[in-house]
Amino acid sequence: MQLSQYHNQDVKQRVYEALEKAKALQPKLNAIVSFAQDIEEQLEALKQIPKNAPLYGVPVVLKENVNTKGLLTTASSRILSNYIPVYDACIVEKLKAAGAIIIAKSSMDELGMGGTNLSAYSGPVNNPYDLSRISGGSSGGSAVLSAADVSALTIGTDTGDSVRKPAAYNGVIGMKPTYGRISRYGIIPYASSLDHVGYFTTSIADAAVALHVLAGRDDRDMTSSYREVPAYETLLNSDLKGKRIAIIDNVQNAIKDDAILANFNQLIEQLQKRGAIVEHVSLNEQLLSVLLPTYFIIANAEATANHSNLDGIRFGMREDGESVEEVMRHSRTAGFSTNIRKRFVIGSYSLFVENQDKLFRKAQKVRRLIVEEIKTVLDQYDITIASATGSIAPHPQDSVDEKLSDTYLIAENHMIMGNFSGYPSITIPCGFVQGMPIGVSLMAKPFAEQTLFDIGLAIEEETGLRGQIAEVEA
Amino acid sequence: MNYETVIGIEIHCELKTKTKMFSGAPVAFGAVANSCVNEIDLGHPGTLPCVNKEAVRLAIMAATALHCEIDPLVKFDRKNYYYSDLPKGFQITQQFHPIGTGGYVEIETETGSKQIRLERIHMEEDTAKQFHNEEGTLIDFNRAGTPLVEIVSKADIRSGKEAAAYVEKLRSILNYLGVSDVKMEEGSMRCDVNISLREMGSREYGVKSEIKNLTSIANVQKAVEYEVARQSEILSNGGTIVQETRRYDEAQKATVSMRKKEGNVDYKYFPEPNIPPIRLDEAWIKEIQSHLPELPDARKARYQREYGLNDYDADVLVASRELAQFFDAVCQYTKEYKMAANWTIVELSAALNKANLKASDSPCDPKHLADMIHMIKDATISSKQAKIVFEEIMKGKDPKQVVEEKGMKQMSDSTELLKMIQEVLDNNPKSIEDFKNGKDRAIGFLVGQVMKASKGTANPAMTNQLIKEELAKR
Repeated sequence: MQLSQYHNQDVKQRVYEALEKAKALQPKLNAIVSFAQDIEEQLEALKQIPKNAPLYGVPVVLKENVNTKGLLTTASSRILSNYIPVYDACIVEKLKAAGAIIIAKSSMDELGMGGTNLSAYSGPVNNPYDLSRISGGSSGGSAVLSAADVSALTIGTDTGDSVRKPAAYNGVIGMKPTYGRISRYGIIPYASSLDHVGYFTTSIADAAVALHVLAGRDDRDMTSSYREVPAYETLLNSDLKGKRIAIIDNVQNAIKDDAILANFNQLIEQLQKRGAIVEHVSLNEQLLSVLLPTYFIIANAEATANHSNLDGIRFGMREDGESVEEVMRHSRTAGFSTNIRKRFVIGSYSLFVENQDKLFRKAQKVRRLIVEEIKTVLDQYDITIASATGSIAPHPQDSVDEKLSDTYLIAENHMIMGNFSGYPSITIPCGFVQGMPIGVSLMAKPFAEQTLFDIGLAIEEETGLRGQIAEVEA
Repeated sequence: MNYETVIGIEIHCELKTKTKMFSGAPVAFGAVANSCVNEIDLGHPGTLPCVNKEAVRLAIMAATALHCEIDPLVKFDRKNYYYSDLPKGFQITQQFHPIGTGGYVEIETETGSKQIRLERIHMEEDTAKQFHNEEGTLIDFNRAGTPLVEIVSKADIRSGKEAAAYVEKLRSILNYLGVSDVKMEEGSMRCDVNISLREMGSREYGVKSEIKNLTSIANVQKAVEYEVARQSEILSNGGTIVQETRRYDEAQKATVSMRKKEGNVDYKYFPEPNIPPIRLDEAWIKEIQSHLPELPDARKARYQREYGLNDYDADVLVASRELAQFFDAVCQYTKEYKMAANWTIVELSAALNKANLKASDSPCDPKHLADMIHMIKDATISSKQAKIVFEEIMKGKDPKQVVEEKGMKQMSDSTELLKMIQEVLDNNPKSIEDFKNGKDRAIGFLVGQVMKASKGTANPAMTNQLIKEELAKR
């Protein structure tokens, strides 16, 4: 269901239908952690919202790390398994002001730290196209609920590629705007300098409406931008004539799956036919091959500090102990999974005084170099383009978060560049391989979201995959 | 063995802002526990810091008054450690780029004035307050997030007296600036003293101890002197100093060990990702700097230069900002500066102390004091009468009214006085005879008789003079 298809429907009926569908699919997909308990109150509050509000009566799903006052928000971690926020995230206020009805909170990798959604405290999320395959993560629940047509708009967050990769695996649009475009206030963080609010839709038009609603300055987030928010949806223009597009060769060269490559090349031809100027660029291979380790150091260093507030003292799960220190130690030991604790250790290690120069500061330096590299390309092109992933959604046993093969390093991690630079990036479905969806990844200059939507619209027109959803039998 | 005492002092000073360093919650001393907190102060997941501009302004004022160089690029860092009074598990501070560097404080010593150089002044946030009782630990988060400046001296201080003079001077400067309440007993100014001994002439530093819990300036001196004695006794007996944190126990009048320091703690400092570097407007900085209130040294110099006060009087007045302000107000109405100083320092101070009032809350109108001084000066009232008048103006009364009501006007009309004197002399021939026989005491008796006859209103000095003249004639 796209936003445009909601019109002239009974709002209450629509919301309950979405809820029913989500509940019916839950045993198959396991995408939801909790359902909203205040639907009637929200419907009542909707009476104060003008009927022409952009999301009037639209059921929306939030990722489990988006704070909702009075509604369980666990970040899919045991340590927050009883956490009920005392305040709403900025985007919750914006969504409600636009008429959205929050119906559920969706599963994610524990604290956003993962790309498979296998680490969620509520268990793995299944891919609607093949339940035996992963959803991808960390915003797996929201990606799956978009693909399964529960909601026209589902919210995720993207620290490495946590919106864009599951979008590719589930055949939906995954949008990560410029850093600072959407306020992060009230989003349980992973790594503050890399975290972005993103979202899933099944059409470019909906993605444009959603950003118009979600974006804008928030005084509670000092990194949020003062730039005016355009009415993207009214400015959409799929004319590609003269548009300069750079294929990132390093990514395509690292991909071994011929079907994915063929699909990509065909799409490029179609774009050229529409008048786009497509050229090949090669980024510094050495820099690309250290994307993942660089990301790992920065993200884990920030994460270890960001999650130091989870100590069982003021909120969250608490384990007993003889002293305050013991309470903290026991709560953290029991509250985080082994993998998370491992990441904290890595993060701390890279911040030790004796290691900062060779790890944390070096990673910051590499990050700057990579951003320079991307900037040089985008100074000459409107967008970069590459296959979003090197494979279709894998089976759980084949998916590893930290594999270090060359193919994996570049093909599966290049979208991190959007987080290092903060530049806007989108994943758009572009076809199927072995019955599973695949996607293409675009990146543009800072605040050039309109460019992504415009070229994305042209791609959508070429692929004919607007409104593509998975039929899942309940 | 002769030892040299080496002292460096760190002072934490709460800034007088309406709201907290990084949140909009109010700052209030003595409020009901946990009533001045919001989700940011409690370190709830998803919250973000927002820099308090007023705190930056006050810090710039302090840094300027301490002759520091101001860094116009404001940056913050995270200091990571776990403690139950630290909600986020890190403190936001300025480790790498303090707002002020260098600078000095000038103190008076027995051998003249001395500059104590400063290392830095930086902004940070305060921790929560803990109360340990038998049942456990209670935490009041009202203080958490209160803006602080930390002022770190170089190890330029050489004695307990100098240490006390340094803290006193700093307190006075910050008080004059109005940036802080600087109440050591309430904890709005806290001072940690690092102290070590070394052989006279040595350039190496000895092992230091850090003394905390100093609730008054007198205690700073006492603690240092105790610690010097303790350390030199250990060293003289061939022992070694253990690096540790000690606190000053007022009852024992001794420093006692709190905890040993096992090497340096690694706080894993790194730049706060949620606060982008803030470039301060140079014009704003200049504006702040050009409107600094007059500082104690400048005010003392002005009192000596313009009002001709002596060193002692100027010091006493300047030592209290409120008293000096009252004195300045009196000087608006009189040019009898010396008398104004005397009355302010002696009578006003005593009366205020008795009533337990600050000079800023004085019930006496400065103009009334000036008027009374003029009455003394032009002999309208005697100094004896003035004491009575003063008691009344301390109740807020106008001195003219008091004098009238009490019929106190001093008789200074020479014709009238002379008439009275002739009468007294006529009635006391014995005294005249005594005087002629060389008994000077007789004058005193005669003056007393005139005073009696005039019901105390005769101007004593004039009476004395006129009696002498009349006696000479007889």
